Amino acid sequence: MAAHHRANPAARRKVQVSYVIRDEVERYNRSGVNALQLDHSLNRLFTAGRDSIIRIWNVNQHKQDPYIASMEHHTDWVNDIVLCCNGRTLISASSDTTVKVWNAHKGFCMSTLRTHKDYVKALAYAKDKEQVASAGLDRQIFLWDVNTLTALTASNNTVTTSSLSGNKDSIYSLAMNQMGTVIVSGSTEKVLRVWDPRTCAKLMKLKGHTDNVKSLLLNRDGTQCLSGSSDGTVRLWSLGQQRCIATYRVHDEGVWALQVNECFTQVYSGGRDRKVYCTDLRNPDNRLLICEETAPVLKLELDRSADPPHAIWVSTTQSSVNKWSLKGHNFRLSGDYDNDCAVSLTPLCTQPDHVIKGGASIIQYHILNDKRHILTKDTSNHVSYWDVLKACKVEELGVVDFEEEIKTHFKMLYVPNWFSVDLKIGMLTITLEENDCFAAWVSAKDAGFASQDGADPKLNFGGLLLQALLEHWPRTHAGPLEEDDMELNQVNGENENRVIQKGNGYFQVPPHTPVIFTEAGGRTLFRLLCRDAGGETESVLLNETVPQWVVDVAVDKNMPKFNKIPFYLQPHSNSCTKTLKKDRLSASDMLQVRKVMEHVYEKIINAENDSQTPNSPNNDKTREMEKEEDIAMLAEEKIELLCQDQVLDPNMDLRTVKHFIWKSGGDLTLHYRQKFL
Amino acid sequence: MAAESRDLMTSFLLFFCEPFYTWMSSCAFIFFLFFLFAELFDNYMQQDAHEFLNYLLNTIADILQEEKKQERQNGKLKNGVLEGEEACKPEATWVHDIFQGTLTNETRCLNCETVTFCSNCFSNTETLCSEYKYYCEQCCSKQEAQKRMRVKKLPMILALHLKRFKYMEQLHRYTKLSYRVVFPLELRLFNTSGDATNPDRMYDLVAVVVHCGSGPNRGHYITIVKSHGFWLLFDDDIVEKIDPQAIEEFYGLTTDVSKNSESGYILFYQSRE
Repeated sequence: MAAHHRANPAARRKVQVSYVIRDEVERYNRSGVNALQLDHSLNRLFTAGRDSIIRIWNVNQHKQDPYIASMEHHTDWVNDIVLCCNGRTLISASSDTTVKVWNAHKGFCMSTLRTHKDYVKALAYAKDKEQVASAGLDRQIFLWDVNTLTALTASNNTVTTSSLSGNKDSIYSLAMNQMGTVIVSGSTEKVLRVWDPRTCAKLMKLKGHTDNVKSLLLNRDGTQCLSGSSDGTVRLWSLGQQRCIATYRVHDEGVWALQVNECFTQVYSGGRDRKVYCTDLRNPDNRLLICEETAPVLKLELDRSADPPHAIWVSTTQSSVNKWSLKGHNFRLSGDYDNDCAVSLTPLCTQPDHVIKGGASIIQYHILNDKRHILTKDTSNHVSYWDVLKACKVEELGVVDFEEEIKTHFKMLYVPNWFSVDLKIGMLTITLEENDCFAAWVSAKDAGFASQDGADPKLNFGGLLLQALLEHWPRTHAGPLEEDDMELNQVNGENENRVIQKGNGYFQVPPHTPVIFTEAGGRTLFRLLCRDAGGETESVLLNETVPQWVVDVAVDKNMPKFNKIPFYLQPHSNSCTKTLKKDRLSASDMLQVRKVMEHVYEKIINAENDSQTPNSPNNDKTREMEKEEDIAMLAEEKIELLCQDQVLDPNMDLRTVKHFIWKSGGDLTLHYRQKFL
Repeated sequence: MAAESRDLMTSFLLFFCEPFYTWMSSCAFIFFLFFLFAELFDNYMQQDAHEFLNYLLNTIADILQEEKKQERQNGKLKNGVLEGEEACKPEATWVHDIFQGTLTNETRCLNCETVTFCSNCFSNTETLCSEYKYYCEQCCSKQEAQKRMRVKKLPMILALHLKRFKYMEQLHRYTKLSYRVVFPLELRLFNTSGDATNPDRMYDLVAVVVHCGSGPNRGHYITIVKSHGFWLLFDDDIVEKIDPQAIEEFYGLTTDVSKNSESGYILFYQSRE
């Protein structure tokens, strides 16, 4: 099967634009860590984060700050990583449906494989053959030759891959033996499926687990397999006999992570019950509680720099990664434990040897009524106040009551929704979609963008934001016309006008802001940093990726039309005015009640007065004068506007009235009456 | 499933008299019910047994609740105190005690394996996947999840209604599904939730309402009831003792040859506890 790097643009579904509000350098894991890989030769640990970032750490005990670098290119959870080619290459699998190939030493992304159609959950590696397999929720397994992957270039980006088919359910775990002769997958189907990766032939199915299989290991020659399942058991299988030869019930809940020693005699297991055990495969009564974490265990990584291993790294759904000492435990030396001691509840270690401190992830958000600011709460209960438009944090409010803060920040103001928020990576990801991106118009004054000439233009939040996100893309500030037009312009001496202002003229987003183009289904098409849009390859890729609805605004500067709101204007029942015929009016939904009052005063009240006293042209002139300055004041003095029998504040706009006071369906109806002084 | 209301009523009342006479305070109550339903069901229209059962149970429950409420209010008024909230809260009646169970809907995120409960929603086991992934609050993201319906509280009397009719698109009408459903004499529910109060409760079959006829729009109802260890068949005014083996005759049809079936429609299982 030939897999192309980039999907055919013509076949694409609706494209959304997202961006992440974050610090330029995120030095701490923001969220849980799904996978770990140790590079012993360089003393480095790679962590695959749910915050979409793979980080490289120096695990030399003496180093003060272990952070070395971040590998950022994924846009969703990184679910698994494997280190290949003696640590030179790292392969990663992500919920953004891609598999990426990285230069592990320098930390940059070399290529992206887009053959999977759903979350990629697991990777397997055959060291002797430099072969990697990937599998995920799309039930597919693909086999990759690492040397081919690292040789890919922008022009030669077609990879041939083998696929293993037959899985009936989503795959959650995968293992390949070092020699590359056996591959096994675990899925919600509860059976293990085994293939020969050399021929892609199905070898067998192994039945026994009663729930999802979340972790798998194979021994070097592929004769034995260990599986950890959500049913809470670890099973040892003989592939030769095609059966389960032992079941280990060590955990209270699902087993999510396994590691085994070199000679395949001791299994280390961790899972939902937060405990890490070591069990002797030949004598299961010999088991030892290594440690108890404070959150469910996601991954284990043995420090194999010595045999027997003297430490194990443990990652959990929390952001810190711990190294636990295994020193002082050896089954072989003390085979005659009494049973109580062997299943002792006191862990071998109570304190980790080494901690890679993690940060907090945002777990709750509230979009404020101005549809510009967001309040968030993170795992350490800190509340923060963010500006979506400028893509930055405005204020840290510390540990305060979240609900109380929401109440304090409430404003009687209605602005339509124009973006959505996602917290899957523990940071704010804002997504703009074609159908509502341009829904929010706000007056520049209200948004706090004062202009020099005192004018108060209406601003479209979504439009301005798209312009800011793409302001470094040359197409947005070079003229839209091609070369032959240029000549014409030069003749006319208008060339200087060809350079259009950069950005939106009001605000900028931080240049490090990641901008992501995604298919509506969730598949990432392209991710870049805001400041990099001017790069040669980036602008080519942008030309391919940016959807027309974004081009309209960012390149062609066509702002969408104002939203109109239909409404009825009628005299209030207890006012003495006659009922006019019910006219359906239409106005911008940002029109202030004050303007409607002026309209009433001018067109209805005055018109009635006019009909009573025929006026002279002279009179007309004075009225013109009056209009300019005093109508507003007069209107406010003389009449009031009501909706649902509630007197309206002249500063409110129609959409706010409709949302907070009218509330019901159908067209907004406003009543007016004269004030009796 | 329809049959004349007359035999429908006798089917039920005979059935009710037998195993539940202990629950009925007096025969007068049954006559009262007769009058109550006379208006709605005393005609020669074709009626459905399941609909009737629901109506019967709901109406009895409503009447009892109203009665209890009145009693309470009268009592309270005598004492001179009436607490609004208490007076309005409906009380469980013997209908609830006997027939009411609780269903619970479990959704388990396959990533964090956290189970979320939601009472009273009815749904089959399904995996929420691909574009229909479940938004897990714990994971703050969309993940695959398994959703299944579980019985949380088992009732004393488990009334099971077999779906014996189906709308046929081609025919533009309902047809009777006569196929064989082997209902056991003893039953244990396996889809109970982990926190169910009495998950291993055993049930014995005590009565079956049987629909006789080829179509869903007409026919006849008979009832078999287990009384004092004997199985009795009630067919209008004829009551006869039957062999327990004969219950098999009401499982339904194995072939489509004979269209006229006498098939079990509503099954009543009684808890052993």
